[in-house]
Amino acid sequence: MSNPISSRPYRDLIGAIRPGDWLTVLTTIAVVMVLFDSLWLGETASKVQIRAGNQIHSTLSINQQRVVEVPGPLGITTVVIDHGRARVASDPGARQYCVKQGWLDQAGQVAMCLPNQVSVELLGSRKIHDSLNY
Amino acid sequence: MSEKNSHILLANADDHRIAKLAAIAIGLHLIEAVLPSPLPGVKPGIANIVTLYVLYKFGIGTAAWVSLLRVFAGSLLLGHMLSPTFVLSLSGAITSLLVLFFAIRLPRRWFGPVSLSILAAFAHIGGQLLVVWLWLIPHAGIAYLTPVFALAALVFGIINGLVTARLLSND
Amino acid sequence: MSRRINFWSLCALWLMVFALSACGREPVYQSQSYVFGTLVDITIYGEEESRAAELASRIQQDFQRLHQKLHAWDESSELSRINRAIAAGESISIDTEMADIIEQAGVFSAASGGLFNPAIGGLIQQWGFQRDSFSAVDIDRKAIDRLVAANPRMEDIRINRKNDGRILLSSRNTAVRLDLGGYAKGYALDRAAAYLKSEQAKNALINIGGNVMALGRHGERPWHIGIQHPRKSGAIASLDLEDGWAIGTSGDYQRYFELDGVRYCHVLDPRSGYPARHLQSVTVLVPPGNLTGTRSDADSKPIFITEPENRKKMAQQLGLTHYMTIDQAGNISVSAAMQKRLQWKTDVKPNILQTLP
Repeated sequence: MSNPISSRPYRDLIGAIRPGDWLTVLTTIAVVMVLFDSLWLGETASKVQIRAGNQIHSTLSINQQRVVEVPGPLGITTVVIDHGRARVASDPGARQYCVKQGWLDQAGQVAMCLPNQVSVELLGSRKIHDSLNY
Repeated sequence: MSEKNSHILLANADDHRIAKLAAIAIGLHLIEAVLPSPLPGVKPGIANIVTLYVLYKFGIGTAAWVSLLRVFAGSLLLGHMLSPTFVLSLSGAITSLLVLFFAIRLPRRWFGPVSLSILAAFAHIGGQLLVVWLWLIPHAGIAYLTPVFALAALVFGIINGLVTARLLSND
Repeated sequence: MSRRINFWSLCALWLMVFALSACGREPVYQSQSYVFGTLVDITIYGEEESRAAELASRIQQDFQRLHQKLHAWDESSELSRINRAIAAGESISIDTEMADIIEQAGVFSAASGGLFNPAIGGLIQQWGFQRDSFSAVDIDRKAIDRLVAANPRMEDIRINRKNDGRILLSSRNTAVRLDLGGYAKGYALDRAAAYLKSEQAKNALINIGGNVMALGRHGERPWHIGIQHPRKSGAIASLDLEDGWAIGTSGDYQRYFELDGVRYCHVLDPRSGYPARHLQSVTVLVPPGNLTGTRSDADSKPIFITEPENRKKMAQQLGLTHYMTIDQAGNISVSAAMQKRLQWKTDVKPNILQTLP
């Protein structure tokens, strides 16, 4: 495929780039990178992050209908995702705080089932805060 | 008298060429409007090749004529006249012409059609985004689209610049 | 050139941006574990991942060690061993760290006029909060009154540092039962911060069960912290937590049970033996200095417990300039200094407290 005849126009094309053009290309690449960096950094889709113990169990889209069973030291914590909202439906812990919390629908909301070491956090288009004081 | 006539004759020859080039530009404009684009809102802007070619051959004044003629005629043919699409098209053309007005003065030895094409593409999308932001969608959301459009401007700017360089070297 | 943009294509692209944006990476390492019966979250910025993981794992190990040592109801913990010796009226040999912790907790207790009282482990057990999982208990008024009358206080504890290096602890009151539940997390924060500094890690955020301490920044911006709404999911406000600052909250929503429609929370008033009921939450913001993390944990309790009219005085007594309280009706009060730092989430109308002269 790379016989001299077919590669000649290609070489001519590259030859048309003058030294200053490279400068323009590099500068604009830098501009594009800065734009991505400054405007997209930290942006995440609307997702549900489920953590179990020291691990991220799963990160799922919130725009679906799904039941997730998360194993923990006490048993199974059931997380329900329902088109834009999520909740802990059942948990083996005695206090049931995370179940009582009900539906989560705003980014940054967290339900923690401490005894079973499961947490459910909604991630927004942008991380609202680095950590939560509670 | 005869000198003036010959001048007019020369100008007529140019007029024919401009008309032909504008027709090509409008044709490319129409083709692009019909072709599905790789990403919504992002088009390669192949008609810009004609603007650049005319700029090198006949200067900024003629390039402006060709470019604006394309925007108006293209919009008329597509039925977009005075619609938001037309305004965006026009604002992109004006900003890129403004940038080309200055860019063509860059030393030719160092800066060729590729530089001008990239600069024009960035100016084009910059002007369009400004209009979108000021007029159509006045909220910060538009900012998140900017990097995508900038990347497209870079890629198509380089390609169009290379094609223009090839066309010019053929003459 | 017709790089046209129209409204619908913008919308479509908008969605695509969302899909692609997961690719954005930051030099942030995050580790999470369950220690102290709660969630421990360590975020390290700007270190290589392997090193950040190593640092975080060291901190988690230290927390685990502290948890085992200071566990109030695990029979095998050192604190339980001390509590058994106190109950038996015996003196017991303890290590330097334990002596320092108990002495320092005593200083905090004295500063709060005894409202912060880690010696009331007996009461906390009576209320059933010394359990990994608890539910409503029958309230035994007599037992509670008896425990209050015994008046266990940190001042009852004597720590004797012998010349031969041994440290002996004894208590003149056999009713003293140490429970460092309102202290250990803050102490652990200070330890983690000191460790990271000694390792030249400059940017980190440590969250132990809601008590958060910041080191450095998150790159170009400060660490940003949300403050949990005491009754709703999500944050009520947020703030930038600058280098060396710590934030802590005591709330009636953290550990509680409900009996006959009454909420009984885990913060007990040592004077009555009953859960404090004036407030839904107290948040304190502590500037950099000595024991910042510890203060963020311990200093919210006296404010939570004390009567509303004494709150300002208590804050002054504890040297707190930045604090926020939310009462049972949901009314928010903030100190003027705190108000300057907070960004309210909803259309919150806080009452701004005038500082005492």
